Amino acid sequence: MSKRRRDLPYGTLDLLIMKTLETMGEMNGYRIARRIEQVSGDALKLSQGAIYPALIRLEQEGWIRARWGISETNRKVKFYSLTKAGRKQLKAEVEAWEQANALVARFLEAAL
Amino acid sequence: MRWRAPIQRLLALVRRRRLDLELEAEIEAHLEMAERDARQAGLSAEEARWEARRRFGGIEQIKEEHRDQRSVRWVETRAREFRYALRTLSRTPGFTAMAVLTLAIGIGATAAVFSLIQGVLLTPPPYKEPGQLVLISSDRTDGQQQESPRPWPAAQWLEWQREVKSLQSIAAYGWAFNFLILPDGVESFEAMLVTREYFSVVGLEPVLGRKFLPSDTAPSATPVCIIGYELWQRRFGGNPNILGQTVRISRQNAPFEIVGVMPPGVRFLPAPNAAREPNYDVNALVDIWLPIAPGPNPEALKRPQWNIVGRLAPGFTREQAQAELALITARQAQADRDFAGFAPKVQSLTSEYNRDGERILLPLFEAAALVLLIACGNVAALLFVRGLGRQQEYAVRAALGIGRAQLFCEVCIESLLLALVGGALGAGLAVLAVRAFKLIGGHTVPRLDAVTTGWPVLLFGLGLALIAAILAGLFPAWRASRLDPNEVLKGAGPRATAGRGERRLLQIVTMAQAALTLVLLVGAGLLIRTMINIWKAPSGYKTSHILAMTVTAVEGNWSDFHRRALDRVSTLPGVQSIAFAWGVPLTGNNWTAHVIIEGQPAPATQNEAPQVPLRSVTPGYFELLGIPLIEGRDFRSSDDDSAPQVVVVNSAFADRYFSGTTALGKKVWLFGPDKAPGTIVGVVANSRTDDLTRQASPEIYLSFWQARAYSKHLLIRTEADPLSIASAVHTALREINPYAAVEHIKTFDQIRNDSLASRRFAMQLLVGFAVVGCLLTLVGIYAVLSLSVASRRHEIAIRITVGAEYRDIRNLIFFDGFRLIAGGVAAGLGGALVLSRALRSFLYEVEPSDPATLVAVAIMFTGVALLACWAPVQRATRMDPMKILRC
Repeated sequence: MSKRRRDLPYGTLDLLIMKTLETMGEMNGYRIARRIEQVSGDALKLSQGAIYPALIRLEQEGWIRARWGISETNRKVKFYSLTKAGRKQLKAEVEAWEQANALVARFLEAAL
Repeated sequence: MRWRAPIQRLLALVRRRRLDLELEAEIEAHLEMAERDARQAGLSAEEARWEARRRFGGIEQIKEEHRDQRSVRWVETRAREFRYALRTLSRTPGFTAMAVLTLAIGIGATAAVFSLIQGVLLTPPPYKEPGQLVLISSDRTDGQQQESPRPWPAAQWLEWQREVKSLQSIAAYGWAFNFLILPDGVESFEAMLVTREYFSVVGLEPVLGRKFLPSDTAPSATPVCIIGYELWQRRFGGNPNILGQTVRISRQNAPFEIVGVMPPGVRFLPAPNAAREPNYDVNALVDIWLPIAPGPNPEALKRPQWNIVGRLAPGFTREQAQAELALITARQAQADRDFAGFAPKVQSLTSEYNRDGERILLPLFEAAALVLLIACGNVAALLFVRGLGRQQEYAVRAALGIGRAQLFCEVCIESLLLALVGGALGAGLAVLAVRAFKLIGGHTVPRLDAVTTGWPVLLFGLGLALIAAILAGLFPAWRASRLDPNEVLKGAGPRATAGRGERRLLQIVTMAQAALTLVLLVGAGLLIRTMINIWKAPSGYKTSHILAMTVTAVEGNWSDFHRRALDRVSTLPGVQSIAFAWGVPLTGNNWTAHVIIEGQPAPATQNEAPQVPLRSVTPGYFELLGIPLIEGRDFRSSDDDSAPQVVVVNSAFADRYFSGTTALGKKVWLFGPDKAPGTIVGVVANSRTDDLTRQASPEIYLSFWQARAYSKHLLIRTEADPLSIASAVHTALREINPYAAVEHIKTFDQIRNDSLASRRFAMQLLVGFAVVGCLLTLVGIYAVLSLSVASRRHEIAIRITVGAEYRDIRNLIFFDGFRLIAGGVAAGLGGALVLSRALRSFLYEVEPSDPATLVAVAIMFTGVALLACWAPVQRATRMDPMKILRC
């Protein structure tokens, strides 16, 4: 659907966001983006804004929740945290990811 | 959890603006934080701003994607499909109009009848918990039928009131008719006479003032009354200071003080003992309530004159109440023989309340539903045939990878769209139809005045549309999604042909339509025959060129008024003859007397003598109505109080009691053996006075000047249109006596028609439904046969080339059509035998399974339906075989 070319495989960003929230707890959008950048180093070419569409999707699914708080620059900003359903989903997705990874890895090995 | 996101997305559609603003705020905060971090990393203000923006990415793009992400892709897809369906439908306006119109007619008919049902049957009476209310009427203990259930003596129900556990409370009531004397004239009203418990039993609270108190019925109390909301609005302009004002009621000396106003929409409770009063209308709104209480007189306490309503105690059933009351009543009958012979019958008020309405509305609803089914059949066939034409398109798209589910969805959405438009149009039709019903329905459907068309009808119409969409669209959609693209694409070009199995299925649909139509036609036919039978039945009187009105001299000298009225009105231009009469045919009459007849064995008591209806007429009445005098003489104006009492009897009376001899000169005691008897001076021919469908029974006519009737009819035979002199008559009567109530001005033809109104209403509706159903079915037969011809063109072409004649081809196709029709007719006759029974109570001298009607309808329908085959037959016979076989 999206006309923009994605830099990441579909769904990867969701996983990164949820994982970030799981380890770091409640964060605002900017901090989530920064954290993903820091962890991935220069390996990931991601414009920071791209996390916002992902955030609303996750919120609508009920996997994360948002509440209004005050940013370090004294502005109203949304803070996101993982819900119970989100934790479950994250776990399932991590498993799926690992399985797929293992499968692809095995193929790649076999091909070599 | 699966539902969460879609709902959130739907909400997002609505909260669009707020979500945009929130995102904006978030982005701004984000940029600020990014800027600050960049400054701390050592960049200049300008550089930091630029860096923050660069790393954020395209703001507008993000916003766009945010919108995309959060809102409903599902809705958007469906919206696209809707647009697509709209485009396809608008490309074939003929098809679309046809389908929409067909559905609109079916849905309109059903929704219209439904709105009557909703207004009449589903709207409960304005009482508190009406389901708990019961009417206590009576059954004879010897099992014999009563013409109308006997009411109860106060002595009995007062005891019930004290002892019964299964009923929370009991009230007694009666019905009365009288006239209000107002400054600007006289107006008749119907009143409920109620004991003071009545309002609390049914749960009515006044909107103004109070309910009745025990002191209201004390002998010395000022007369009080409570008025209905509608009378308050109509006659007193809703005056909030109405309490304490007084009204004068005819034949009552003291004026009545108004102490309360009841809420709107309160109607009468049935008073079977008054059911045959000329002015009794149980479905009317109550104008006035008057308080009554049983008097102390022991003889009066034993008079059976009270109708009873009760409220079930919590946790008790109707059956328990009946058993308990039966026990008490049996004990009462043992203690006093006067109470013997009757057992209580506890009926639910709401089922009583709805009985008349159900009788007429349920058969009509059935008929309307049949029309809807027929319409659905047609639309299904239309969609299906069109689907055949689009096989290629479907196949190509399926080959290109469009999913089956999506194809199914698309066709479903198309039929849904058709049905929704049809439903909206149908709801509009229903509103018009309800208006028409109210116009032609009049008094035939009880409480029709309360019917309104509103949201429920629209919702019902849309609900029907959904059902119709499923009925009509499911099969074509299923078929479209099951197409095998290989098969279709391998086949020839885009041809509207169908396989044998599919044609068979369509044929079954058409047969079903034909069967349903036949059921409707049989119903209509039975009602038409009923009307013809009634028309042919000898009424015994003429009804044309007669004006009738009820005239009551509420105040003033009775005989002076009536003599002057006769003199005055008969000299008006256009008046041929004129008569006063009580007991005019078809207007209701329950004035009966136990008559002791000369020459008949003397009965032990007056009450065992035969009960005969009495009528009271002025000289010239028989001639005016065209009732021939068989023997003796008519009344004379000298047959008054100062002359000996004379009576005229009808020939049914003469035949029954004086067969083989003359009735003239014989005596009848009308008011007991100790009073002066009347002498029979004339015998007139029979007439059907009560009901056109009932044989004449013995009747006695009295001289108007000897038997004063209070409220009676004035009949006027006119030269021209009777209604043209109505206002002149009205003015003349009011000039003679300003307190004369002149009401119910109608022609006698109208009275006659009104007495047949419910039958005619049912007939008109059923004929209308049958005609519509018939047309739809003809279209269906035409469509199926056309398809069959198109599908078999190769076969037909080959037949022609190998030498089949025009006649053979014609017979081939006609036979195809005939099979269809005959199958439908056969099934329809079976259905009609079952369903026509619902009409039984409307029929007269024709059975629901009347063979003549069934055969006539079957032949007529087959004939008309064969006409629908004509065009396809022509097409088949005009084919050019070479052209077809070559391509």
